Formats: sequence, C-alpha cells, structure tokens
Amino acid sequence: MQNDIEKLSDEAIVERVRKSDQEFYSVIMKRYQDRLMRYAGGLIKDKDKATDIVQSSFIKAFINLNGFDTNKKFSSWIYRIVHNETMNLIDKNQKEAVFPDGFDVESGEDIEKDFEKKEIKEKIEKCLADMPVLYSEPLSLYYLDEKSYEEISDILQIPMGTVATRISRAKLLMKKLCQKN
Amino acid sequence: MSKELKNIGDEVMAKIREGQVKMKPKYYFIVGSVLSFVGLVSSLITSVFLIALTRFAFRSHGGIFAEYRFEQLVSNFPWWAPILAVVSLFIGIKLIRRYDFSYKKNFVYVVIWLVLAVFMAGLVFDMTGLNDIWLQHGPMKGIMRQYFDEGGVRSGLGQKHLQANISRGIKLPFLKD
Repeated sequence: MQNDIEKLSDEAIVERVRKSDQEFYSVIMKRYQDRLMRYAGGLIKDKDKATDIVQSSFIKAFINLNGFDTNKKFSSWIYRIVHNETMNLIDKNQKEAVFPDGFDVESGEDIEKDFEKKEIKEKIEKCLADMPVLYSEPLSLYYLDEKSYEEISDILQIPMGTVATRISRAKLLMKKLCQKN
Repeated sequence: MSKELKNIGDEVMAKIREGQVKMKPKYYFIVGSVLSFVGLVSSLITSVFLIALTRFAFRSHGGIFAEYRFEQLVSNFPWWAPILAVVSLFIGIKLIRRYDFSYKKNFVYVVIWLVLAVFMAGLVFDMTGLNDIWLQHGPMKGIMRQYFDEGGVRSGLGQKHLQANISRGIKLPFLKD
C-alpha cells in the first residue's frame, strides 16, 4: 500500500485529495516540506519564519487545490506559492537587503567548465547566505532543488533567458564570494 | 524528520480534519475564469469600437466640429459596456486570484500591451472597413446605428442632436451667441 502511494505522481495524489480522500494531502506535505523549508529558509534566512511560511503555503495550496491545473507540475505550483509567501513577508518586514543600484557582473562568460555541478552544490550552501535573493534564489532552485530552467521560469515568473542570465551571474558572484571567504 | 517539520504536517492536517481549512469549490474558480474572460472580451470590443469610431468621427468632421462630435460620441456611447467590463474583470480576477502561474504577472506590462494592442486593432478596424461589417452584423450594430442616425452622418451636422443640446442649454464652442 505504502509503495503504491509512493509511486503515485503528485498530480495523481492531488486528484485523490480533491475527489475522495483529504488525508492524502499529508503525503504531498511529506514529499515537499524538507525541500520547501530549505528553499524558504534560504530566502528569508530565519528558521522560524521559514516554518511559518511553509505551513501557510500548505494551507493556501489546500484551499486553492481545486484551482490547480493537474496538467501542470504541482512542484512548480507549490514552489510558486512559497516564493510568493516569502516575498510578501520580506516586503512586509523590509528586512531583506535590496540589491545595490548599479551592481552588475559581467555576463556571457561560460564558467560551466570551471565548476562541476557537485562542487557547485557544496559551495552554494556555504555562500548562498551572502548573496542577494535576486541571484541566490534561481541558483538554489537550480542546484539544490534541481529544477530545470523552465520550472524556475514558472516559479519566478521570469523568462527562461533571464533565468539563464541570473544563474550565470550568480555563479560568477558566488565564485567571488567563496574565494573571499 | 525534525520536530518542526512533523508539526507543520500535523498542524495542517489537524486544521483540515477540524474543518478550519476548507477547499474552495470548483465552481468558484470556474465563475472567476468566466467573469474574467467576459470582462476581457467586452473591454476589448468596447475599446476597439471606441477608437475606431472616434477616429472616424474626427476624420469626418475635423476642426471646430471635432469637439462637438466628441461630445456627441460620449453621450451616445454605451457606458454600461465598459462598466460591465471593469466589474467583471475586477470580480473575476479577485475570485481566481489563486496561486497559479498567472498570479503576480507584471500587470503594468500587461496593461501597456493591452492598450497598444487595442489601439492598433482600432486603427486596423478603421482602415480595413471592419466598422461597416460591425455596423450591419456585429455586436455594436445598435450603437453604430444610433450614432449614425443621431450623429448626422446622413444629416450633415447632426441637427437633431445639436438642437437637443441647445435646448438643454449646452454651450457649443462653434456656435455664436
């Protein structure tokens, strides 16, 4: 039974929650809470607030579950909700540092060769806290949550080209930050 | 699994079981989507028609008559249509303001593109003569007919409307006292 449930896709579980058994919602939460906690924690940099954000996101997702299109990815949808909740809280508190005006890093340079994905993953976790959210968020989604550019584009509501640029710039920035550390 | 994480799941499930948290019914989202669609379509039709008609009126009666012609357009225009559009859009968006992929789109860009699209469509309608088709068969048949009848395309200056305005005491800029 447990194996059968584990094999079900998120979208299939959502369908069950909507139609027959709301208890299945706990399966969804179990699948996502660790990842969402890390994601929200990385953005808000406060564990308690991240916990509140994830909890309220699960509640909002449940309330609006009938509005979710099961032809789309549940994963992107729930990440989008957490993103919105986090940004709303950041706006409200205005604690998060705004990205400095005029800041730019040269782009177009392919530094993929310099960093292997695994190596980057480890470094990201160390350096992410020092990065502005603008760059840390897509980088975290790409390397830590292993989202595709398309999924990141859906979650952040930005074009795929912008996702690529931000990740590329984030890698350069990370290189600088990590070397400094 | 950490204590906090376990608590998140437990607390949410407890609220669901107790009925404190309930799913919004499906029809809620359907009504929202339908209203948004109706609002969007009616606002587009209204705006395109207004632009085409205004351009047509100014071209037909330029100079000092343009102001009067515009006033005539305003008085003839079915204001219920844009009001319906705004109300439908407002309620529709409010209802479906759920956390889907359309949430938090950059509405400034959406509005700019919409205005540009409507403006261009209005010009195209006017240039290609689609106004005439609308006049005879389209959704604005009645309004167009009223405009032509009262506005005086056939009767030169729109004597009927002009007289009505004069009798109501409305001062027209091109008439001497």
